[in-house]
Parts: sequence; C-alpha cells; structure tokens
Amino acid sequence: MAEQQPAITLERVCKSFGNNRVLHEVSLVLPAGKILVMLGPSGTGKSVLLRCLVGLMKPDSGRIFVEGQDITALDERRSAGREQMFALRRKFGMLFQDGALFDDMCVGDNVAFPLRQHAKMSERQIAERVAEDLERVGLKNVQRKMPAELSGGMRKRVAFARAIALRPRIVLCDEPSSGLDPVMSATLDELILDLHRSLNMTFVVISHDTAEARTIADYIGLLYKGELQEFGPKEQVLRSSRLAINQFFDRSTDGPIQVL
Amino acid sequence: MEFLHFVRRALVAQFSGPPPRDEFVRHALDAGVGSLPLLTLLTIFAGMNLSVQAYGTFVRFGGQDLLGLFCGVGGIRELYPVMAAVICGARIGATLAASLANMQISEQVEALEVMAVDPMRLLVAPRLWAVTLMLPLLCGYADVVGLAASYWAATEQMGVNGGTFMEQVRDIVHLSDLAAGVFKGVVFGWLVAIVSCYHGYRALKRDGAEGVGVATNRAIVHSAVLCIVLNMFLSALLYVR
Repeated sequence: MAEQQPAITLERVCKSFGNNRVLHEVSLVLPAGKILVMLGPSGTGKSVLLRCLVGLMKPDSGRIFVEGQDITALDERRSAGREQMFALRRKFGMLFQDGALFDDMCVGDNVAFPLRQHAKMSERQIAERVAEDLERVGLKNVQRKMPAELSGGMRKRVAFARAIALRPRIVLCDEPSSGLDPVMSATLDELILDLHRSLNMTFVVISHDTAEARTIADYIGLLYKGELQEFGPKEQVLRSSRLAINQFFDRSTDGPIQVL
Repeated sequence: MEFLHFVRRALVAQFSGPPPRDEFVRHALDAGVGSLPLLTLLTIFAGMNLSVQAYGTFVRFGGQDLLGLFCGVGGIRELYPVMAAVICGARIGATLAASLANMQISEQVEALEVMAVDPMRLLVAPRLWAVTLMLPLLCGYADVVGLAASYWAATEQMGVNGGTFMEQVRDIVHLSDLAAGVFKGVVFGWLVAIVSCYHGYRALKRDGAEGVGVATNRAIVHSAVLCIVLNMFLSALLYVR
C-alpha cells in the first residue's frame, strides 16, 4: 500500500519583518491525521507560522508542502495561482484567536457561510449540518443569536463549528484556549480530540498551554525566537533533555528562554 | 503604488461578474435611502440660500428676475451634485471605511481568505456598485429638491414671478446639464467608494480601534477633497467650449 502523504511539510522556512527575524529555518514533517501542538512564548512566531501554512503570508525562503503540494510556488498575483491557492485553502479550516465571526451575520449564517460558498447542498441540508456542528460543539438553539450576544467561549465554539463545517482535512487553531477559563479550555480540548477521532482531521494547534499539549498532542513542537527548538512525537519530546523544553514544561524562569 | 494595486484588484473584482445580491442591496439601500433625510434637509436650505444670496445681489440693479438663471446654473450644474457627493460621500464613505476596517482588525477579512472566498469580490465589489449607482440618483434628487427650495424662497419670500423663474431655468438648464450632473454622480460615487474601501481595507489588526477611526477620517477627508477638485476639472471638460 502506498504510504500516505504527510499533511504538512516545512523545509527551512524563514520569515522576517524588516530586521525582525520571526522564523528561521523551520523544518518539520507532520503526518496526516495527527494533532500537532506548537508551543512557545508569546511573540515567537507561532501565529506567523500558522499564517504561512495557509498562504496568508509568504515565507522569505524555504518551502511549505500541504499534502505534497508546494504552496510557496503559487503566485497569488496571477489569477491561476490565486485559483490554485483557493483550491488548496479548501483543505483547511481555521479557528482564529478571537473567533473572527462575521459581526453582521447570526450564528447560523456564520456556520453556514463556507457551506453556501463551496458545498453543493440545499438550504435544508445546510441547516441540518449547521445544527449538527453546533450540537457537536455543545451549542443548541443559538442559530438566530448574533455574535455580539455570545460569551467568549461560545464565540470560540461557534468559530470551531464554522471551521469544521466543510469537513476540512486540516484544522488550524490559533490559541484556542487563550482567554478561556480552565473548564472551557478543557471542553475545547475534548472537542478537538472528539473531532480528531470522529472525522480523522489533522490539527495544528498554536498554544502556550503545556497542559493542553500533554492532553491532546500526538506531536509537540517548541518555537522560540523563530527557531524550532524541538519537534517530534509527544512521548519523545516529553522525555527530551533539552533545557528549553524542560524549562517550558516546568514553568521555570531558569533556562534559555528569556522573558522578552 | 499601493492604491493603484488596490484599484486594479477592485476593478477586476467589480467587473468579473454580478456582485453578491444581498450585499449589493444592503449597501445600495444604506447609501441611497439612508442618505435621503440628511440630503433633503441640507439641500432645502442650500437651495433657499441660493435664492436669498442671488436676490440680495441682483435686486441692487433690478435684476431679481434673473434668479431662475442663477439658481439653474449654480445649483443644478454645480452646487447640488457636489453637495450630494460631499455630504453623502462623507456619510457613505465613513460607513464603508469603518465597516471594512473593523472587519480587518477583527480578522474577518483573513477568515474569508482562509475560507477561499475573495474579499474583493464579496466585500469591495458590491460596495463599489452600490455607491456608483446610488450617487447619481442622489444627485438628481438633490437637483429637484434644491430647485424646488430655490423656487419657493424666490416666489413666496421675495415676490419673484414663478413663471419667469421657471422660464429662465428652462432656458439655461438643458437635458445635457442634468445628464452632466448624473455623470458627475457616477464619477463621484465610484471615487468615494474606492477611496473609502481602500482606507478601510488597509487597516491592520495591530492598529486596533484607533485604526478604524483613522481609516474613517481619511476616507471622509480624501473623498471630499477629491470630489471637489475633480468637480472643477469635470466642469471645465463639460462646460468650457
């Protein structure tokens, strides 16, 4: 049987803003159907990495493959390149840090939005899918509510429902637990595990929460000052003797990671 | 350069197919119907003021019967289209810039990109079409309301003969003048929309709420300045033979 393509492959990816080096020679291979938790202190390039993965930012050098397709080779200034990029992005769902729900749409329309744009489904099928996904994230009868009426946790869960509505192969989560209470964080972690089990999606979760990494990760990466300090299967990383990993998981101020 | 690149992308989006219907209707109603109360109020007073000013000047040499001429030329050819563009442009431009800037800083535009939806097609194209089509209608509406206000002030308050007033308006204002006003409305409408969308669209997440304010402010100021400057060139093009 042919070996499955890795979901994501990074080859020596570099990204700078002026003199500020944000990513430096980041390389990794994430197999399909796995959960990667990318850890790191604030401001170390985690969100930039996520934006590069989905083509919102272009690396200065290096290559990014999504299921074998080199997205850094696509030129969005040309219409053909933009079409290819859009086709590639349909493989992704993304949970933004603050949800990024559309303010002028109710919850139901927010979740239905990607379905109406891309899925060949009737309005009845879309309504059923919306209700199913909202129930999956623990929300019932909220379709008519506006995003402004929801709590932070509910907004994130609605954003989650929207991110998975099209059943993407890869889901990117930008700090899903930030700003949430521990119970809500644990609920979101369970949700990721449940979705991973039931829909076999690949997840890339950006976080600085080590408890979250221990709970949900198949793979863990540690990014610091734009360099990938450690990357590998969870068990291997947790056994690592690297000082940065130990400092981060021990929540210690003593070690190579300095407060910026 | 950045602005020209935005204009190129916007034109491609605008003419690559019909705009999303719901978005277009929403913005057309807001730009058109939403501007009517303010435009009506200000045009009535501007129209009456035109009569008052003209009467005060012309009466000195017994030329008060020329009021229709003055109100026709000054109002329909110049004042009302520019008023509609500047007043409605400020109102509409502020709404466009603020809504797009808010979507940028809350990552809603990036969310569209990730969902493989072109924000230029979904957000910018319907706004461009809506304002470009609504502003000429508002210019025409301002012509009618302003002239009626001038007529009322001239005949009811200053005793000018109504028949003479309208005869002079008919003599000086031709169908081509009304068409020129509508043409100016199209140009101003597109200009207001593209400038406002540009400032809203280029807001960054790190700019926060202040970025929304800056985008709105720039949209209003730049739209007004461009409309007034361009009006001079359009008038020279249309009326100087």
